[in-house]
This record gives sequence, C-alpha cells and structure tokens, in this order.
Amino acid sequence: MFSDTDYSTTVWSHFRAPKNAGEFHAGTPGVLSGTAGTRKHGRVVAFHLQVMADGRVADCRYRVYGCPATIALCSLTSEILKGGPLAAAAAYSVVALAEQLGLPAEKRAAAITIEDAIRNAAGRYNSHLRSTQASTEFTREL
Amino acid sequence: MSIYLDNNATTPLDPRVLDAMLPWLQGTHGNPASIHRPGRAARAALDKARAQVATLVNAQPAQVVFTSGGTEADNLALKGACSGIPRGHVLISAIEHAAVQAPAEDLRRQGWQVRRIPVDADCRIELNGLKKILDHDVCLVSVMLANNETGAIQDVKSVVAAAREHGALVHTDAIQVIGKLPVDFVTLGVGLLSLSAHKLGGPRGVGALIVDRRVDLVPQITGGGQEHAQRGGTEDLAGIIGFGKAAELAYLELDARRRHMQGLRDTLEAGIRAMHGIRIFAEHAERLPNTVQLGVTGFDGEMVVMELDKRGIAVSSGSACHSGSGRPSHVLLAMGVDEVQARSAVRISFGMQNTVDDVHTLLASLTTLASKRSGALAPA
Amino acid sequence: MKQKIIYLDYAATTPVDPRVAEKMCQCLTCEGMFANPASAHAPGRAARGAVERARSQVAALVGAEAGEIIFTSGATESDNLAIKGVAHFYQQKGRHLITSRIEHKAVLDTCKQLERDGFQVTWLKPDVDGLIQPSMVEQALRPDTVLVSIMHVNNEIGTINDIAAIGRITRAKGVYLHVDAAQSAGKLPIDLKDLHVDLMSFSGHKLYGPKGIGALYVRSQPRVQLDPLMHVGGHEHGLRSGTLATHQIVGMGEAFELARQELANEAPQLSALRDELWRALHAAIPEAVVNGHPTQRVCGILNVAFPGIEGESLLFACGALAVSSGSACTSADREPSFVLRALGRDDQLAGSSIRFSIGRFTTAAEVEAAVRIVGEEYHRLLDLAPAG
Repeated sequence: MFSDTDYSTTVWSHFRAPKNAGEFHAGTPGVLSGTAGTRKHGRVVAFHLQVMADGRVADCRYRVYGCPATIALCSLTSEILKGGPLAAAAAYSVVALAEQLGLPAEKRAAAITIEDAIRNAAGRYNSHLRSTQASTEFTREL
Repeated sequence: MSIYLDNNATTPLDPRVLDAMLPWLQGTHGNPASIHRPGRAARAALDKARAQVATLVNAQPAQVVFTSGGTEADNLALKGACSGIPRGHVLISAIEHAAVQAPAEDLRRQGWQVRRIPVDADCRIELNGLKKILDHDVCLVSVMLANNETGAIQDVKSVVAAAREHGALVHTDAIQVIGKLPVDFVTLGVGLLSLSAHKLGGPRGVGALIVDRRVDLVPQITGGGQEHAQRGGTEDLAGIIGFGKAAELAYLELDARRRHMQGLRDTLEAGIRAMHGIRIFAEHAERLPNTVQLGVTGFDGEMVVMELDKRGIAVSSGSACHSGSGRPSHVLLAMGVDEVQARSAVRISFGMQNTVDDVHTLLASLTTLASKRSGALAPA
Repeated sequence: MKQKIIYLDYAATTPVDPRVAEKMCQCLTCEGMFANPASAHAPGRAARGAVERARSQVAALVGAEAGEIIFTSGATESDNLAIKGVAHFYQQKGRHLITSRIEHKAVLDTCKQLERDGFQVTWLKPDVDGLIQPSMVEQALRPDTVLVSIMHVNNEIGTINDIAAIGRITRAKGVYLHVDAAQSAGKLPIDLKDLHVDLMSFSGHKLYGPKGIGALYVRSQPRVQLDPLMHVGGHEHGLRSGTLATHQIVGMGEAFELARQELANEAPQLSALRDELWRALHAAIPEAVVNGHPTQRVCGILNVAFPGIEGESLLFACGALAVSSGSACTSADREPSFVLRALGRDDQLAGSSIRFSIGRFTTAAEVEAAVRIVGEEYHRLLDLAPAG
C-alpha cells in the first residue's frame, strides 16, 4: 500500500531486495556477532562480521526485525563495511548515512540500533582474537 | 428558457469546475487520512486546492481551514474565537448575514455582550459609531466585506485599524466579494476571513475560514484531526477540488468578470433610472459590481419575485436564507428604510452566465408588471 | 514502478457508485437543480424537491421517518451534533455520559471535549472480542446519566454491538442512546422502528456516496431535543444551518436507495468473499489471527494480526494493496491502534495488524491476489528477522 515515493529510491530498493541478508554457514571462521534492540521497541538487529587475519571485514550478514528504513540501512551498511578495516566498521556512523539518505529524524533510532549491533560485534574482537597478530594491528589502528 | 438573476444566493456551477470535480466523483479514491497511495493522491489534490484558495485571497495554504460552507466558516470564526476565553464583548455590524448573527446570539445566551455597529443610509458602517463602542472588553469585531443584499462594500481596513488599538480580533465575511473584486487577506489585516465556494461558480457544501496563525481558534467539530486539527471529519474531496478550481478561475479572470457584471449592472440601473417609482438602495455606496437592490414602490417584494418567476426570471426579495420568513430585511431597516419600503425590496444579482438580453428581458417584465398597477412602474 | 493498486480499504472510504455519480452530475450542471433550496423561485423549489426525496431515501434504509433525518457535513458532524447537542440541552438533568474506548475519533474527541468542559464520562472497555456488552452499559448507568453513545459496528475490527439490547436498557432508564452507524448502514438491516435508539449517525462516503455529506437521525417519538452546533434558523429543522449542497444530498439519497435495494444480496456475497479471504490467508500464514469476535462481525471487514514481523514493513512490502493499519482517521499518527490495544493486543501485534475491508466492487481475483502478496511478503520478512 506504500510506494517508492515515501522513501528515496535507494532506500526503497534495499528494502525490497536487501543485500547480504541472513547468516554465515555454521563453522565459518572469524565471525563476530552482535545484537541490539528489542521487539517491544520495534526493532532488533543481529549483525555478523567475518573478520580476516589482517583485521579486514571480508563479508557481512545480518538479520533484522524492523521498519523499512531499518532493513534498508542494514543492507546499505553491510555493503559499505565489506572490505574495510574492522576499526572503520566499529566507528561507522549509520546515523550520518541515514541523514544522507534523507530519512526523517524519527528514523535516527533505527540507525543507532544498527551501530550498536555492529559495535557489539566488533567489541568481541579482542576477547576472541586477543593472542593473534591481527589483534595487535587492530589495537594500533584504533 | 429561464433567466437566473439570483447569483448572490448561489451561482450555477462553472462547467470547468465540474470537469475538475468529475474524476473525483467517479472511480476509486482514497481517504486523505489514509497513508496508502490512493490516500496520498487524495491528500495531494486537497493540498493543491488549498493553495488555489489561498492564492485567491493572498493567504498561506496553511491558513486555509476547509468547512462545509460559509455558514460553518462564520460559526467557527465567532464561536471558535470566543470559546475558552473569559466572556467579553463582541461587536457585529447591523447588516451581517444570519450566519454571523446567529452564533453571535448564541454567544449572548452564553453570557457575552453583543453589540451592533450602526450603518448609514447607504449601508456603510459608521466608523465613528464603531469607535464609540470599542474598548478593551471587546474581543472580536465582525464586519462583512460587502453586504449580500445591497452589495455595499465596507471599509474593513479601517475597522481593523480601530480594533487593533484595543487589541480586538477582526473577522470579515468575504463570501460575496470573492470572484467579484480582489480580496487580500494580508492587506485587510483581519484575523479571520470566511469564504464560500458556491458564490463564485464552485459547488455548494464547501467553504473555508482563513485563519491567521496568531489566532487561537477552538474547533467546533472534533474528531480525526483534519484541517490542522481545527475542523474534524473526512473532507468533501470533490467539493474542495471544485472550490480550488473555482478559486483559480476567479483569480485568473477577475478583471473580465468584474467588467462583465458591472456592464450588466450599469445597463440595468440606467433602465431603472428611466422608470418612476423604483429606487436603488445604497445607491451612493461603493457596491459589488453585480448587485442591485431595488425598492418597487407600491409592490410587495415577494409578489414581484412571484410575478417574475412566472415569466421565468429568478430574483430574490432579500437574502435567500430569509425568504418565506415574511420579515422585512434587517439590512434595510438598519439603513433607516421604513418597513413598507423595506418590504418592496427586490434583489437582482448577476453572474457570468447572464447577458445584456437578460437585462432587457427583466426591464421589459418590470414595465409590463407596472402596467398592471396604476402606472407605478411606467417609464418616465 | 507503478503497480495497479488493489483497493481493500472500503471501511476508510468507498468509491462512489457510478449510478450515484450520475445523479450527482445531473444536479451539478447548469440545466439541473443548481439553485439554492431555500430560494422561493422555481429552480429553488426543484432543488428542494430533490433534497426531500433524498431525505426519504435515507430514512427508508433504516426504518425512519423522513422528518427525522437531518443532513450534515458527515458522520463526524453528526456525532458532534448528537453528543454535544444532547449534553448541552439536557445538562440541567445531568452531566454524565457513557461511551466506549473503541468509538470512532469523532465520538472520542467530542466526549473528551465535554469532559474538559466539566461533564463526566464513563469510558467502557470492550471485552476480549471487542464487544461492548449491554450489561457493561447497565452497570455504568447513574441517576445523572443523560446519554449513552455506542457504535453499531466498530470501524477497525468490524464487531457488531447489540444495540437492540443496549437500547432496551437505556429506554427503561430514560437515558438517550446515540449510535454511530457509519460502518453498519447498508451492511446490516437496521429498523429504527424496532430499536430504542434516539440518535443515529450516518456517512455518505462509507456507502458508495460522496465525501462531505452525512446525516443524523433524531427520533421524533419520543422526541429528543438538541442544542444546534451551528446557528442560523431555517435549514434542517433549525438543527443544522448552512446552504444545503443539493448534489451531495442527492448523492447520499441515491446511495442509500441502492443500498436498500441491494442489501439482501450484497451482504451474504461480501460475507462469503471475506470468509474466503480469511480461509486463504490462514492457509498461507497459519500464525495469523483474527482481531475481534469470530462471528459477530460485519460482512466487509477483516482485521488480522501477523505475529513475528514489524507492521510498517509489512504495509510497505504490500505496496500494491490499499489496506489500513488502523482506522483511516488515525493512520496518519502511526500509533498502535487504540482499539486493538483495548482488545489486549500488545503494541507489537497491534502494529502488525492489517484491516482488509472489501465492498461492492471487490472481485474474487483481487482477494486472491491480495492473499498471494501478503503471504509472500510475510514470509520474506519473517525469514529476514532474527529468531525470537
């Protein structure tokens, strides 16, 4: 009952056909997962980052319960984070992305929820890989 | 073929307005409150009409509150402005339409002081009379922009200047003026201005109140939050779109309309002046280009209306809302016209569909009518 | 990407029936009855005749006398006129009103306004099926109660209240009963001769008539009196002023006339189509649940909760359907429906509920297509969501 005119074409197309949705296969190495939000508050985001030994994000997956903006932002963010350093992922401002896309201010909470999920995932990096070389690089980059 | 000369009561719908309305009378259309596509299409059409009406009177679209007509606009203006504030004084002119008088009466029953602003013999409000009764207890002054019976135009700008000194809000009923003369909400300086669609070629059942943002208006019909929460209820979509179109056309064609109607009026008045026993009320006032109120000596106005009706000419013996009441016009009485003369009143109001032939037919009928009775109407 | 829209939002507003539009157009043209019905001349008399015919048509659908029908600018104004009119006129007798939490906004907002003005209002809560039981009304009655306002059919969930039983209670206590029948007129048989209803609101645009016109039934025997909302003597028996819009009134009259002729055929057909909609939806989405009473429901409305997914996304995903997430008049503020919350649905379930409302021009093919779209999109969104 809604159409592309409510949201920009970019948001609309990512909502209609989100990229990188889902989860990694069980046993995929280097996967960090973080969640944020509650169903009661209208959105839940589970973000999964596959981090390589050099501290780069090789791939992303996510699952999302939420409004069209939340879904589209997950999809867009997953595309942007792919191939970049984990530090950049952890510092990435989904709020700024939402603003660039012209989403209304009330969608800010959606962006913050996604940032929280990504940071929760990135935050596991130290505990999981503390002893590795990648960990040192990651710390230096931060 | 009948000749319709009662355009101040209601105008025929302009065919172009009908064309604009037809798509909205047929097919599937959403409720403007719905957020799906048909709903938003309806909302967009509503907004366009709002802008068209705003343009006609030089107001902002957000200042337009659509209503079910001029009567509701007037009621909303008076009762909406006076609800929820301590009771004070309301001043209305002695020549207001019933749509202003009646809510004023209701305010009086609720304990408000309501006073009438007098008019002179030519149906113009007396500014000195207004200044005498204006004081800081006055919350609202309501003076129409032009009278519906005589067509006399009121100096509302001066009313606003006088009221402003005392902090009083001014409402003007501009229903008879739009489509005939320019109306400028900003220049007039009023806080509230009433409009109606069916007096300028638009459909009936639609009106608007233009509301200055500084005016704290209490809604009179609640529920749904439509019209900036000032008037609840699903909008008469086709009607409002018709109003918008009529306003747009009136805006574009104003000069031509004024010239056309004034030409007919001048022809009629020249013919009338050549007859004995017919006077023109408010003759010396600046008047609407389409309105002539006649006093036909020795005749009852109602009877003249019936006689002309038999000949296929539709005129009015006063304002339509009064017909059948048997009371002489309060407007004429306020002008100091005696009751017998007031009862002889006949109003001719032209519209864009009228022709010079219509005027000549009317003049001929008036002459024939006169020959039946003691030569009172015979040519000089 | 312009898709063809499947319109399933008849409870928000209906298309104007082409037969109604034709009658309205006749009135709107110069040759037709454009004159002011208050005018004495011939065109004025013709317009008045058309108005009176329409009044009889409206009255005939609901078993009223023509003289008991007042035309208004819509059901919202009718509700305002009925409730404020009775409250103000009889305030010496008492200043207590009873209504329910699931009324249309026109009733809720009007009662809230009266509450601010010093009247007392009892707000009845519906039972788990969304019904206002007559016993609830009976228990809420007080010696100073002057008016009970209960809707016939709820606009969001379509449940039918037993207004006959409520009327017997209010009549026995000498309390006036107002019923908002905007959603029931033309869909359920209504015979005001057999009902103890004093005031009833009707809408044109919910029954294939135009928007911006409605009516209020005001019982003459025993008589109920009202304070008018808008003042100017003359029009509509002094209860409602302003120049009557002949084309609007004629349109409403014709719409009610058609409803009277077609009610007996149309209601069972719509019920069957609605049942098919639910059967197919439930087959596609076994988790879906109906909001409101399972059987005591009007023919055209089906309100369904879709657990596990977020409401706005479902609505956007089903972009080819014109449906409603709440009542149309409350959709704009996007809050979970107060009716569904009153039924005990949590915000999440209320938020993922869709009201399908079908009507005269809905086809079986449209219903089938709607089910396919909702089914596909529901499962897509469910797959996208994290577990739990």
